[in-house]
Amino acid sequence: MKKRTADAIVIGGGIIGAATGYYLAKQGLKVILLERNFPCAGSTGRCIGGIRAQFTHDLTIRVMLKSIKMFMELDSELGEDIEWYAGGYLFLAFDEERKKSFLQAIEIQRRYGLKVDFISPDECARIVPGLNQEGLLGGAWCPTDGQANPFKVTYGYLKGMERLGSKVITDSEVKRINIQGDKVVSVVTQTGDEFYAPVVLNAAGPWAEGVAQLAGVFLPVKPDRHEALVTEAVERCLEPMLVDYRSDGCYFVQHYKTGHFIGCYTPVPIVPGDRIDASDEFITEMPRRMVRLLPKLASVKVLRQWAGSYEMSPDGNPICGRTPVEGFYVAAGMSGHGFMFGPALGYLMAELITTGKSSIDISEFRLDRSFAKAEAMK
Amino acid sequence: MKRSKRPVIVCRCEEITEDEVRRAIKRGYYSLEEIKRVLRTGMGHCGGRGCLKIIARLIEEETGIPVAKQRFPCSRPPLKPLALGLLASYKYEEKNG
Repeated sequence: MKKRTADAIVIGGGIIGAATGYYLAKQGLKVILLERNFPCAGSTGRCIGGIRAQFTHDLTIRVMLKSIKMFMELDSELGEDIEWYAGGYLFLAFDEERKKSFLQAIEIQRRYGLKVDFISPDECARIVPGLNQEGLLGGAWCPTDGQANPFKVTYGYLKGMERLGSKVITDSEVKRINIQGDKVVSVVTQTGDEFYAPVVLNAAGPWAEGVAQLAGVFLPVKPDRHEALVTEAVERCLEPMLVDYRSDGCYFVQHYKTGHFIGCYTPVPIVPGDRIDASDEFITEMPRRMVRLLPKLASVKVLRQWAGSYEMSPDGNPICGRTPVEGFYVAAGMSGHGFMFGPALGYLMAELITTGKSSIDISEFRLDRSFAKAEAMK
Repeated sequence: MKRSKRPVIVCRCEEITEDEVRRAIKRGYYSLEEIKRVLRTGMGHCGGRGCLKIIARLIEEETGIPVAKQRFPCSRPPLKPLALGLLASYKYEEKNG
């Protein structure tokens, strides 16, 4: 059983842990990142890679504007092609109520300089040739949203951390968090190895509630199951992420480089728990929804279906910041947006941890908030 | 035995060569799961049936981790690629209802 010391310990090798670990290491901290399985084995490696600033919560929009700026520069930052592409996001409205909520969201988003418009069905079909316009009232269109490769980004951050002298340890599950007085002291993994640091970050995604419990902290984060599929690669014919918010809707995008279509939907009702088996219902329902929106996809073949967890907070916004235990931080509850938040929240968390405050004030995401104001563009 | 100088394709679906796999292992990607994520091996039409065992042997050669000790990615449905239109025409609820 080894004993090791560091300036900070990060629990979780997904995008949030990797990005925060990287920016902490960049600030000169010696970081040890503990991943219980392998990097990207949780939610990050199962997400479809969409990135957007079209949200309704002011802080979320500001964080995403920063994140998108960072995604645009990540290739040179990490020395890795992270496959960022600004193909835009098109949210479709099929009823007046949805149209109204998009118009309200656009008003908020424009305050922060986001280039976003409500466009007519014909304009939607110009952006998405072959789009089925039946019942369509228009769409919220933002051309600066985009996509990137979650594996490349996460591995890029982890390799970057290692270059900066920090360590990534896989197959290491944290089983105990030791606290003295009200301060975090060390964590112990399943092998009995003990890692000492004055700072411990809980970035355990769908399992963050359990990790918080080890420190005696209550964290309201619950996983639910989301399924996805990917098709064979075909000639490029869809630029943006297409989002259909109807209860039997779906969202999908074509990877700009490889030509695969990748997509998912939010089941109604939700499927709670961290089970991530694939269902027969999804593999028939998702194609029906995709072909309904874009009939020309009928001949494209599905290669694979899988599932992953959304780690939901009560209001659909992240939970980031301090906890009642000194030195024990949390960055979890990403509610399906962890990958896109990753660069900005990782950067801001690193600032918060090293200087006590972040350049964008993220205190609205603190653990002891009321959770009353829900995000409408989940 | 002398190796051919021509590139050896180990993953036909994604056209990944032996050299590319060895380079990934040398960069620190020691498992099938990680190599799958960085090179797309096993993510193509065959779902890994053709390449995973070959790559497992390359991992053993490069790192000494025996094939039997390696974790294999799980197989995902459908076993064979099926058209969206065909899947869409299947009435799941009627059949299972």
